[in-house]
Amino acid sequence: MPAVAAARPFREGLLKLTPPRLLGSRCGRCATVTFPPREFCPGCRAVEPITETELSPEGTVYSFTVVRQAPPGIEVPYVLAYIDLPEGVRVLGQVVGVAPEAVTIGVGVRLEPTAFGRDGDGTELVGYRFRAASEVTA
Amino acid sequence: MTLAPAHVAGAGMIRFGKYPADVTLERMAVGAARAALLDAGADLTQIDACYVGHVFGGPVAGQRIAAQLGLDGLPVSNHENYCASGATALREAWVALAAGLHDVVLIVGVEKMTDRVAGGVRPDPGDLDAAVGYVMAAGHGLSARRYMADHGATREQIAAVAVKNHAHSVHNPFAQYQRPVSIEEVLNARPIAEPLGLLDCSPISDGAAAMVLCTPAGLRRLGLVAPGPRMLGCALVSGSVRPGTGDVNEEDVSRRAAEEAWKLTGIGPEDIDLVEMHDCFTIAEIVRMEGLGLIPRGAGAAWTAAGETSLGGRLPVNPSGGLLSRGHPVGATGVAQACELTWQLRGTAGGRQVEGARVGLSYCKGGTVNGTDGGSVTTLVMSK
Repeated sequence: MPAVAAARPFREGLLKLTPPRLLGSRCGRCATVTFPPREFCPGCRAVEPITETELSPEGTVYSFTVVRQAPPGIEVPYVLAYIDLPEGVRVLGQVVGVAPEAVTIGVGVRLEPTAFGRDGDGTELVGYRFRAASEVTA
Repeated sequence: MTLAPAHVAGAGMIRFGKYPADVTLERMAVGAARAALLDAGADLTQIDACYVGHVFGGPVAGQRIAAQLGLDGLPVSNHENYCASGATALREAWVALAAGLHDVVLIVGVEKMTDRVAGGVRPDPGDLDAAVGYVMAAGHGLSARRYMADHGATREQIAAVAVKNHAHSVHNPFAQYQRPVSIEEVLNARPIAEPLGLLDCSPISDGAAAMVLCTPAGLRRLGLVAPGPRMLGCALVSGSVRPGTGDVNEEDVSRRAAEEAWKLTGIGPEDIDLVEMHDCFTIAEIVRMEGLGLIPRGAGAAWTAAGETSLGGRLPVNPSGGLLSRGHPVGATGVAQACELTWQLRGTAGGRQVEGARVGLSYCKGGTVNGTDGGSVTTLVMSK
Protein backbone atom coordinates (compact mmCIF):
# COMPACT_ATOMS: atom_id res chain seq x y z
CA MET A 1 0.00 0.00 0.00
CA PRO A 2 1.48 3.37 -0.95
CA ALA A 3 2.08 5.74 1.93
CA VAL A 4 -0.20 8.77 1.93
CA ALA A 5 1.88 11.89 1.78
CA ALA A 6 1.47 14.32 4.65
CA ALA A 7 -0.47 17.53 4.10
CA ARG A 8 1.68 20.38 2.81
CA PRO A 9 1.28 24.13 2.26
CA PHE A 10 -0.45 24.88 -1.04
CA ARG A 11 2.48 27.08 -1.99
CA GLU A 12 6.07 26.69 -0.90
CA GLY A 13 7.41 29.33 1.44
CA LEU A 14 4.06 30.99 2.17
CA LEU A 15 3.15 29.41 5.48
CA LYS A 16 4.26 26.77 8.01
CA LEU A 17 1.83 24.37 9.60
CA THR A 18 3.03 23.70 13.15
CA PRO A 19 2.28 26.06 14.66
CA PRO A 20 0.34 27.73 11.82
CA ARG A 21 2.15 30.90 10.79
CA LEU A 22 2.30 32.99 7.64
CA LEU A 23 5.82 33.60 6.39
CA GLY A 24 6.87 37.03 5.21
CA SER A 25 10.16 38.51 4.10
CA ARG A 26 12.11 41.15 5.98
CA CYS A 27 14.56 43.60 4.43
CA GLY A 28 17.87 43.77 6.30
CA ARG A 29 18.50 47.25 4.95
CA CYS A 30 15.26 49.14 5.74
CA ALA A 31 13.33 46.61 7.89
CA THR A 32 10.27 46.59 5.58
CA VAL A 33 8.26 43.38 6.07
CA THR A 34 6.13 42.00 3.22
CA PHE A 35 3.68 39.19 2.66
CA PRO A 36 3.88 37.16 0.51
CA PRO A 37 7.68 36.93 0.69
CA ARG A 38 9.48 38.60 -2.22
CA GLU A 39 13.01 38.41 -3.56
CA PHE A 40 13.30 42.19 -3.42
CA CYS A 41 12.29 44.84 -0.92
CA PRO A 42 9.39 46.95 -2.21
CA GLY A 43 10.40 49.62 0.31
CA CYS A 44 13.99 50.28 -0.81
CA ARG A 45 14.48 47.86 -3.77
CA ALA A 46 17.33 46.00 -2.07
CA VAL A 47 17.72 42.36 -3.12
CA GLU A 48 19.86 41.41 -0.13
CA PRO A 49 19.85 40.76 2.70
CA ILE A 50 16.26 39.54 2.59
CA THR A 51 15.31 37.03 5.27
CA GLU A 52 12.25 34.93 6.03
CA THR A 53 10.20 36.05 9.01
CA GLU A 54 7.22 34.54 10.81
CA LEU A 55 4.19 36.81 11.05
CA SER A 56 1.94 37.18 14.06
CA PRO A 57 -1.15 34.95 13.83
CA GLU A 58 -3.40 37.68 15.22
CA GLY A 59 -4.65 40.75 13.42
CA THR A 60 -7.58 43.08 12.91
CA VAL A 61 -10.06 43.58 10.07
CA TYR A 62 -9.19 46.70 8.04
CA SER A 63 -12.07 46.25 5.59
CA PHE A 64 -14.39 43.42 4.57
CA THR A 65 -17.00 42.37 2.08
CA VAL A 66 -19.54 39.58 1.91
CA VAL A 67 -19.21 37.89 -1.48
CA ARG A 68 -22.61 36.68 -2.63
CA GLN A 69 -21.91 36.01 -6.30
CA ALA A 70 -18.82 34.36 -7.73
CA PRO A 71 -17.83 32.40 -10.82
CA PRO A 72 -18.99 28.75 -10.99
CA GLY A 73 -17.17 26.43 -8.56
CA ILE A 74 -16.81 29.01 -5.79
CA GLU A 75 -19.27 28.51 -2.93
CA VAL A 76 -21.00 31.65 -1.66
CA PRO A 77 -21.54 33.50 0.61
CA TYR A 78 -18.17 34.10 2.24
CA VAL A 79 -16.54 36.96 4.06
CA LEU A 80 -13.36 38.31 2.46
CA ALA A 81 -11.30 40.79 4.43
CA TYR A 82 -8.09 42.74 4.56
CA ILE A 83 -6.38 41.81 7.82
CA ASP A 84 -3.74 44.09 9.31
CA LEU A 85 -1.00 42.35 11.28
CA PRO A 86 1.15 43.98 14.00
CA GLU A 87 4.24 43.76 11.75
CA GLY A 88 2.67 46.40 9.50
CA VAL A 89 1.55 43.87 6.92
CA ARG A 90 -1.86 43.60 5.25
CA VAL A 91 -3.14 40.16 4.24
CA LEU A 92 -6.23 39.27 2.21
CA GLY A 93 -8.15 36.26 3.47
CA GLN A 94 -11.51 34.78 4.29
CA VAL A 95 -12.98 35.23 7.77
CA VAL A 96 -15.04 32.52 9.46
CA GLY A 97 -16.60 32.05 12.87
CA VAL A 98 -18.79 35.11 12.61
CA ALA A 99 -22.09 35.79 10.88
CA PRO A 100 -21.58 38.03 7.83
CA GLU A 101 -23.82 40.72 9.33
CA ALA A 102 -21.79 40.71 12.56
CA VAL A 103 -18.41 41.53 10.99
CA THR A 104 -17.13 45.04 11.59
CA ILE A 105 -14.00 47.01 10.80
CA GLY A 106 -11.56 46.56 13.66
CA VAL A 107 -12.73 43.12 14.75
CA GLY A 108 -9.91 40.83 15.96
CA VAL A 109 -9.11 37.64 14.02
CA ARG A 110 -6.71 34.72 14.35
CA LEU A 111 -4.98 32.76 11.59
CA GLU A 112 -6.03 29.15 11.05
CA PRO A 113 -5.01 26.55 8.48
CA THR A 114 -7.67 25.33 6.07
CA ALA A 115 -7.90 22.86 3.20
CA PHE A 116 -7.05 24.37 -0.21
CA GLY A 117 -7.82 21.26 -2.27
CA ARG A 118 -5.54 18.41 -3.29
CA ASP A 119 -2.41 18.06 -5.31
CA GLY A 120 -2.17 15.75 -8.37
CA ASP A 121 -0.90 12.88 -6.19
CA GLY A 122 -3.69 13.23 -3.63
CA THR A 123 -1.72 15.18 -1.06
CA GLU A 124 -3.90 17.54 0.92
CA LEU A 125 -2.92 21.16 0.27
CA VAL A 126 -3.16 23.56 3.19
CA GLY A 127 -3.92 27.25 2.91
CA TYR A 128 -5.04 29.83 5.40
CA ARG A 129 -8.01 31.81 6.60
CA PHE A 130 -8.89 33.79 9.72
CA ARG A 131 -11.30 33.09 12.56
CA ALA A 132 -13.04 35.90 14.39
CA ALA A 133 -11.50 36.10 17.85
CA SER A 134 -14.75 36.46 19.77
CA GLU A 135 -17.24 34.10 18.20
CA VAL A 136 -20.83 35.25 18.17
CA THR A 137 -22.54 32.31 19.87
CA ALA A 138 -26.22 31.64 19.72
CA MET B 1 9.04 64.27 -23.53
CA THR B 2 6.06 65.02 -25.72
CA LEU B 3 5.47 62.88 -28.78
CA ALA B 4 3.60 64.17 -31.81
CA PRO B 5 -0.18 63.98 -31.41
CA ALA B 6 -2.17 61.60 -33.61
CA HIS B 7 -5.16 62.82 -35.59
CA VAL B 8 -8.45 60.99 -35.20
CA ALA B 9 -9.66 60.35 -38.75
CA GLY B 10 -12.47 57.98 -37.85
CA ALA B 11 -14.34 56.41 -34.96
CA GLY B 12 -16.95 53.69 -34.98
CA MET B 13 -18.48 51.02 -32.81
CA ILE B 14 -21.30 48.56 -32.65
CA ARG B 15 -23.88 48.69 -29.89
CA PHE B 16 -22.60 46.91 -26.79
CA GLY B 17 -24.78 44.19 -25.32
CA LYS B 18 -25.32 40.45 -25.23
CA TYR B 19 -25.14 38.89 -28.67
CA PRO B 20 -26.09 35.35 -29.72
CA ALA B 21 -23.40 32.74 -30.36
CA ASP B 22 -23.39 33.26 -34.13
CA VAL B 23 -22.30 36.89 -33.69
CA THR B 24 -18.63 36.06 -33.32
CA LEU B 25 -15.75 38.13 -31.99
CA GLU B 26 -14.49 38.53 -35.55
CA ARG B 27 -17.87 39.68 -36.83
CA MET B 28 -18.23 42.30 -34.11
CA ALA B 29 -14.71 43.59 -34.71
CA VAL B 30 -15.28 43.80 -38.46
CA GLY B 31 -18.52 45.74 -37.86
CA ALA B 32 -16.79 48.32 -35.68
CA ALA B 33 -13.80 48.54 -38.03
CA ARG B 34 -15.99 49.12 -41.09
CA ALA B 35 -17.80 51.91 -39.22
CA ALA B 36 -14.50 53.60 -38.32
CA LEU B 37 -13.11 53.23 -41.86
CA LEU B 38 -16.33 54.66 -43.30
CA ASP B 39 -16.18 57.56 -40.84
CA ALA B 40 -12.59 58.26 -41.96
CA GLY B 41 -13.42 57.87 -45.65
CA ALA B 42 -10.58 55.35 -45.77
CA ASP B 43 -10.42 52.26 -47.93
CA LEU B 44 -8.60 49.08 -47.01
CA THR B 45 -5.55 49.85 -49.16
CA GLN B 46 -4.86 53.04 -47.18
CA ILE B 47 -4.25 51.29 -43.85
CA ASP B 48 -0.66 50.60 -42.80
CA ALA B 49 -1.15 48.50 -39.67
CA CYS B 50 -3.72 47.13 -37.26
CA TYR B 51 -3.64 47.20 -33.43
CA VAL B 52 -6.11 44.95 -31.64
CA GLY B 53 -6.97 44.99 -27.94
CA HIS B 54 -8.71 41.98 -26.39
CA VAL B 55 -8.44 39.71 -23.33
CA PHE B 56 -10.37 36.51 -23.97
CA GLY B 57 -10.15 36.47 -27.76
CA GLY B 58 -7.61 33.67 -27.96
CA PRO B 59 -4.43 33.37 -30.00
CA VAL B 60 -3.97 35.80 -32.91
CA ALA B 61 -7.49 37.18 -32.63
CA GLY B 62 -6.25 40.30 -34.41
CA GLN B 63 -5.06 38.30 -37.39
CA ARG B 64 -8.35 36.34 -37.45
CA ILE B 65 -10.17 39.67 -37.59
CA ALA B 66 -7.82 41.10 -40.25
CA ALA B 67 -8.41 38.06 -42.45
CA GLN B 68 -12.16 38.72 -42.39
CA LEU B 69 -11.80 42.47 -42.71
CA GLY B 70 -9.44 42.48 -45.68
CA LEU B 71 -6.38 43.71 -43.83
CA ASP B 72 -4.56 40.37 -44.00
CA GLY B 73 -0.86 40.66 -44.57
CA LEU B 74 -0.38 43.90 -42.63
CA PRO B 75 1.51 44.27 -39.36
CA VAL B 76 -1.15 43.16 -36.85
CA SER B 77 -0.48 43.07 -33.11
CA ASN B 78 -2.57 41.83 -30.20
CA HIS B 79 -2.56 43.83 -26.95
CA GLU B 80 -3.60 42.52 -23.55
CA ASN B 81 -3.68 44.65 -20.39
CA TYR B 82 -6.96 43.23 -19.09
CA CYS B 83 -9.56 46.03 -18.97
CA ALA B 84 -7.00 48.51 -20.35
CA SER B 85 -6.28 46.37 -23.44
CA GLY B 86 -8.09 48.63 -25.91
CA ALA B 87 -6.46 51.75 -24.50
CA THR B 88 -3.07 50.04 -24.63
CA ALA B 89 -3.61 49.24 -28.32
CA LEU B 90 -4.37 52.94 -28.90
CA ARG B 91 -1.21 53.91 -27.04
CA GLU B 92 0.97 51.58 -29.11
CA ALA B 93 -0.60 52.91 -32.31
CA TRP B 94 0.09 56.51 -31.24
CA VAL B 95 3.73 55.61 -30.47
CA ALA B 96 4.17 54.03 -33.92
CA LEU B 97 2.71 57.11 -35.65
CA ALA B 98 4.92 59.44 -33.62
CA ALA B 99 7.94 57.33 -34.52
CA GLY B 100 7.17 57.73 -38.21
CA LEU B 101 6.71 54.00 -38.68
CA HIS B 102 3.15 54.31 -40.06
CA ASP B 103 0.85 57.09 -41.29
CA VAL B 104 -2.64 55.56 -41.11
CA VAL B 105 -3.52 52.83 -38.63
CA LEU B 106 -6.62 51.02 -37.46
CA ILE B 107 -7.21 50.24 -33.79
CA VAL B 108 -9.87 47.74 -32.75
CA GLY B 109 -10.96 46.87 -29.22
CA VAL B 110 -13.18 43.81 -29.02
CA GLU B 111 -14.52 41.25 -26.58
CA LYS B 112 -17.03 38.44 -26.69
CA MET B 113 -17.69 37.77 -23.00
CA THR B 114 -21.10 36.13 -22.87
CA ASP B 115 -19.83 32.75 -24.08
CA ARG B 116 -16.56 32.87 -22.10
CA VAL B 117 -17.19 34.53 -18.73
CA ALA B 118 -19.76 33.64 -16.05
CA GLY B 119 -20.37 35.11 -12.60
CA GLY B 120 -17.87 37.92 -12.95
CA VAL B 121 -14.21 38.38 -13.80
CA ARG B 122 -11.33 37.51 -11.50
CA PRO B 123 -7.55 37.61 -11.40
CA ASP B 124 -5.33 35.01 -13.02
CA PRO B 125 -5.65 31.70 -11.12
CA GLY B 126 -1.91 31.87 -10.38
CA ASP B 127 -2.28 35.13 -8.44
CA LEU B 128 -2.37 34.71 -4.65
CA ASP B 129 -5.51 36.86 -4.37
CA ALA B 130 -7.40 34.38 -6.54
CA ALA B 131 -6.36 31.51 -4.25
CA VAL B 132 -8.09 33.11 -1.25
CA GLY B 133 -11.33 33.94 -3.08
CA TYR B 134 -10.77 37.37 -4.59
CA VAL B 135 -13.11 38.31 -7.42
CA MET B 136 -13.16 41.82 -8.92
CA ALA B 137 -16.45 42.75 -7.27
CA ALA B 138 -15.01 41.78 -3.87
CA GLY B 139 -12.08 44.16 -4.28
CA HIS B 140 -14.50 47.01 -4.87
CA GLY B 141 -16.73 45.93 -1.98
CA LEU B 142 -13.65 46.17 0.27
CA SER B 143 -12.89 49.59 -1.22
CA ALA B 144 -16.46 50.88 -0.76
CA ARG B 145 -16.74 49.69 2.85
CA ARG B 146 -13.53 51.48 3.80
CA TYR B 147 -14.40 54.62 1.82
CA MET B 148 -17.69 54.93 3.70
CA ALA B 149 -15.94 54.47 7.05
CA ASP B 150 -13.14 56.94 6.27
CA HIS B 151 -15.11 59.72 4.62
CA GLY B 152 -18.61 59.40 6.05
CA ALA B 153 -19.95 58.70 2.58
CA THR B 154 -23.36 57.07 2.39
CA ARG B 155 -24.50 54.04 0.44
CA GLU B 156 -26.92 56.32 -1.41
CA GLN B 157 -24.12 58.66 -2.52
CA ILE B 158 -22.17 55.73 -3.97
CA ALA B 159 -25.30 54.39 -5.68
CA ALA B 160 -25.73 57.84 -7.27
CA VAL B 161 -22.89 56.96 -9.67
CA ALA B 162 -25.07 54.25 -11.23
CA VAL B 163 -28.14 56.51 -11.35
CA LYS B 164 -26.13 59.25 -13.08
CA ASN B 165 -24.44 56.99 -15.64
CA HIS B 166 -27.65 55.17 -16.56
CA ALA B 167 -29.37 58.55 -17.01
CA HIS B 168 -26.58 59.59 -19.41
CA SER B 169 -26.83 56.35 -21.40
CA VAL B 170 -30.41 57.10 -22.41
CA HIS B 171 -28.84 59.39 -25.02
CA ASN B 172 -26.24 56.89 -26.27
CA PRO B 173 -27.41 54.61 -29.10
CA PHE B 174 -24.34 52.39 -28.57
CA ALA B 175 -25.05 51.71 -24.88
CA GLN B 176 -26.11 48.29 -23.64
CA TYR B 177 -28.84 49.70 -21.34
CA GLN B 178 -30.16 53.09 -22.51
CA ARG B 179 -32.60 53.25 -19.62
CA PRO B 180 -32.62 55.25 -16.39
CA VAL B 181 -32.52 53.50 -13.00
CA SER B 182 -33.75 54.93 -9.72
CA ILE B 183 -31.74 55.13 -6.52
CA GLU B 184 -34.16 52.59 -5.00
CA GLU B 185 -33.44 50.13 -7.82
CA VAL B 186 -29.72 50.37 -7.13
CA LEU B 187 -30.14 50.02 -3.36
CA ASN B 188 -32.56 47.09 -3.65
CA ALA B 189 -30.69 45.15 -6.32
CA ARG B 190 -29.40 41.67 -5.54
CA PRO B 191 -26.26 41.92 -3.36
CA ILE B 192 -23.04 40.89 -5.15
CA ALA B 193 -20.17 41.90 -2.84
CA GLU B 194 -21.54 43.92 0.05
CA PRO B 195 -22.12 46.81 0.22
CA LEU B 196 -22.31 46.61 -3.59
CA GLY B 197 -25.24 45.14 -5.48
CA LEU B 198 -25.94 44.16 -9.06
CA LEU B 199 -26.45 47.73 -10.32
CA ASP B 200 -23.15 48.85 -8.78
CA CYS B 201 -21.39 46.45 -11.18
CA SER B 202 -20.73 46.81 -14.88
CA PRO B 203 -22.36 44.00 -16.87
CA ILE B 204 -20.83 41.13 -18.79
CA SER B 205 -20.94 42.41 -22.36
CA ASP B 206 -20.07 41.75 -25.98
CA GLY B 207 -18.95 44.53 -28.26
CA ALA B 208 -16.35 46.21 -30.40
CA ALA B 209 -15.09 49.72 -31.07
CA ALA B 210 -12.57 51.01 -33.58
CA MET B 211 -10.63 54.09 -34.55
CA VAL B 212 -8.51 55.28 -37.46
CA LEU B 213 -5.54 57.36 -36.29
CA CYS B 214 -3.10 59.11 -38.56
CA THR B 215 -0.17 61.49 -38.93
CA PRO B 216 -0.42 64.77 -40.89
CA ALA B 217 0.85 62.80 -43.91
CA GLY B 218 -1.92 60.30 -43.26
CA LEU B 219 -4.52 63.08 -43.28
CA ARG B 220 -3.29 64.05 -46.74
CA ARG B 221 -3.42 60.43 -47.88
CA LEU B 222 -7.05 60.25 -46.81
CA GLY B 223 -7.82 63.62 -48.38
CA LEU B 224 -9.00 65.06 -45.07
CA VAL B 225 -8.86 68.84 -45.00
CA ALA B 226 -10.39 69.41 -41.58
CA PRO B 227 -8.41 67.36 -39.08
CA GLY B 228 -10.58 65.88 -36.38
CA PRO B 229 -9.75 65.82 -32.70
CA ARG B 230 -6.16 65.03 -31.78
CA MET B 231 -5.03 62.28 -29.47
CA LEU B 232 -2.33 64.18 -27.57
CA GLY B 233 -1.05 61.08 -25.86
CA CYS B 234 -1.78 58.12 -23.66
CA ALA B 235 0.15 57.37 -20.49
CA LEU B 236 0.57 53.84 -19.18
CA VAL B 237 1.61 52.93 -15.66
CA SER B 238 1.37 49.76 -13.61
CA GLY B 239 0.38 49.27 -10.01
CA SER B 240 3.29 49.12 -7.61
CA VAL B 241 3.85 46.75 -4.69
CA ARG B 242 2.52 48.62 -1.66
CA PRO B 243 4.02 47.40 1.60
CA GLY B 244 2.46 48.51 4.88
CA THR B 245 -1.11 49.22 5.91
CA GLY B 246 -2.02 52.42 4.10
CA ASP B 247 -5.32 53.64 2.66
CA VAL B 248 -6.71 51.04 0.27
CA ASN B 249 -8.34 53.91 -1.64
CA GLU B 250 -5.18 55.99 -1.95
CA GLU B 251 -5.02 55.27 -5.71
CA ASP B 252 -1.35 56.20 -5.93
CA VAL B 253 -1.34 54.40 -9.28
CA SER B 254 -4.00 56.83 -10.57
CA ARG B 255 -2.02 59.80 -9.24
CA ARG B 256 1.03 58.57 -11.16
CA ALA B 257 -1.03 57.97 -14.30
CA ALA B 258 -2.35 61.54 -14.13
CA GLU B 259 1.12 63.04 -13.62
CA GLU B 260 2.42 61.02 -16.55
CA ALA B 261 -0.47 62.22 -18.75
CA TRP B 262 0.12 65.87 -17.89
CA LYS B 263 3.84 65.42 -18.60
CA LEU B 264 3.22 63.65 -21.93
CA THR B 265 0.62 66.05 -23.27
CA GLY B 266 1.25 69.46 -21.72
CA ILE B 267 -2.37 69.45 -20.54
CA GLY B 268 -3.17 70.12 -16.88
CA PRO B 269 -6.03 68.96 -14.66
CA GLU B 270 -7.66 72.40 -14.92
CA ASP B 271 -7.97 71.97 -18.73
CA ILE B 272 -10.15 68.84 -18.59
CA ASP B 273 -13.77 69.42 -19.67
CA LEU B 274 -15.03 65.84 -19.41
CA VAL B 275 -13.84 62.42 -18.32
CA GLU B 276 -14.63 58.96 -19.58
CA MET B 277 -13.82 57.06 -16.39
CA HIS B 278 -13.41 53.31 -15.87
CA ASP B 279 -16.45 52.83 -13.63
CA CYS B 280 -16.38 49.05 -13.60
CA PHE B 281 -18.06 49.49 -10.20
CA THR B 282 -19.73 52.60 -8.74
CA ILE B 283 -17.10 53.14 -6.06
CA ALA B 284 -14.30 52.84 -8.63
CA GLU B 285 -15.43 56.00 -10.45
CA ILE B 286 -15.26 57.91 -7.17
CA VAL B 287 -11.85 56.79 -5.88
CA ARG B 288 -10.18 56.97 -9.30
CA MET B 289 -11.40 60.51 -9.99
CA GLU B 290 -9.94 61.44 -6.61
CA GLY B 291 -6.71 59.58 -7.38
CA LEU B 292 -6.34 61.56 -10.62
CA GLY B 293 -6.61 64.74 -8.55
CA LEU B 294 -9.73 65.89 -10.41
CA ILE B 295 -11.94 65.70 -7.32
CA PRO B 296 -10.76 66.44 -3.76
CA ARG B 297 -9.94 63.38 -1.65
CA GLY B 298 -13.06 62.04 0.08
CA ALA B 299 -15.43 64.36 -1.80
CA GLY B 300 -16.26 62.15 -4.80
CA ALA B 301 -19.37 60.52 -3.39
CA ALA B 302 -20.85 63.84 -2.24
CA TRP B 303 -19.94 65.45 -5.59
CA THR B 304 -21.79 62.69 -7.44
CA ALA B 305 -24.91 62.95 -5.31
CA ALA B 306 -24.90 66.73 -5.77
CA GLY B 307 -24.80 66.44 -9.57
CA GLU B 308 -21.29 67.86 -9.98
CA THR B 309 -20.27 64.97 -12.26
CA SER B 310 -23.53 64.88 -14.24
CA LEU B 311 -24.06 66.41 -17.68
CA GLY B 312 -24.32 70.12 -17.00
CA GLY B 313 -22.35 69.79 -13.75
CA ARG B 314 -18.93 71.12 -12.81
CA LEU B 315 -17.03 68.19 -14.39
CA PRO B 316 -19.16 65.71 -16.36
CA VAL B 317 -17.97 62.14 -15.91
CA ASN B 318 -19.10 59.35 -18.23
CA PRO B 319 -21.54 61.20 -20.51
CA SER B 320 -21.56 57.95 -22.54
CA GLY B 321 -23.09 56.03 -19.64
CA GLY B 322 -19.73 54.59 -18.64
CA LEU B 323 -18.99 50.92 -18.20
CA LEU B 324 -21.99 50.60 -15.89
CA SER B 325 -24.46 51.42 -18.64
CA ARG B 326 -22.67 51.42 -22.01
CA GLY B 327 -21.43 47.96 -20.99
CA HIS B 328 -17.95 46.59 -20.46
CA PRO B 329 -16.66 44.16 -23.10
CA VAL B 330 -13.24 44.38 -21.44
CA GLY B 331 -10.96 44.63 -24.48
CA ALA B 332 -13.28 47.10 -26.24
CA THR B 333 -13.80 49.60 -23.43
CA GLY B 334 -10.68 51.74 -23.91
CA VAL B 335 -11.44 52.23 -27.60
CA ALA B 336 -15.13 52.95 -26.91
CA GLN B 337 -14.07 55.66 -24.45
CA ALA B 338 -11.85 57.24 -27.14
CA CYS B 339 -14.75 57.08 -29.62
CA GLU B 340 -16.88 58.96 -27.08
CA LEU B 341 -14.20 61.61 -26.60
CA THR B 342 -14.04 61.97 -30.40
CA TRP B 343 -17.78 62.55 -30.72
CA GLN B 344 -17.83 64.91 -27.75
CA LEU B 345 -14.94 66.98 -29.14
CA ARG B 346 -16.53 67.06 -32.59
CA GLY B 347 -19.72 68.29 -30.94
CA THR B 348 -21.77 65.44 -32.38
CA ALA B 349 -22.77 63.66 -29.16
CA GLY B 350 -26.43 64.72 -29.39
CA GLY B 351 -28.41 64.51 -26.16
CA ARG B 352 -25.32 63.68 -24.14
CA GLN B 353 -23.15 66.49 -25.52
CA VAL B 354 -20.96 68.25 -22.97
CA GLU B 355 -21.34 71.92 -23.93
CA GLY B 356 -18.15 73.54 -25.12
CA ALA B 357 -15.99 70.45 -24.64
CA ARG B 358 -12.44 71.17 -25.79
CA VAL B 359 -10.30 68.67 -23.90
CA GLY B 360 -11.25 65.22 -22.63
CA LEU B 361 -9.54 62.48 -20.67
CA SER B 362 -10.27 58.79 -20.65
CA TYR B 363 -9.02 56.40 -17.99
CA CYS B 364 -8.79 52.63 -17.91
CA LYS B 365 -7.63 50.36 -15.10
CA GLY B 366 -7.02 46.75 -16.00
CA GLY B 367 -6.47 43.75 -13.81
CA THR B 368 -5.22 43.16 -10.30
CA VAL B 369 -1.93 41.83 -8.97
CA ASN B 370 -1.62 40.67 -5.37
CA GLY B 371 0.07 43.22 -3.13
CA THR B 372 -0.16 46.09 -5.64
CA ASP B 373 -2.62 48.92 -6.17
CA GLY B 374 -3.59 47.72 -9.63
CA GLY B 375 -2.56 46.01 -12.82
CA SER B 376 -2.42 48.52 -15.67
CA VAL B 377 -3.68 52.10 -15.81
CA THR B 378 -3.98 54.26 -18.93
CA THR B 379 -4.80 57.96 -19.16
CA LEU B 380 -5.56 59.16 -22.68
CA VAL B 381 -5.91 62.85 -23.47
CA MET B 382 -7.68 64.23 -26.53
CA SER B 383 -8.25 67.81 -27.62
CA LYS B 384 -10.41 69.49 -30.23
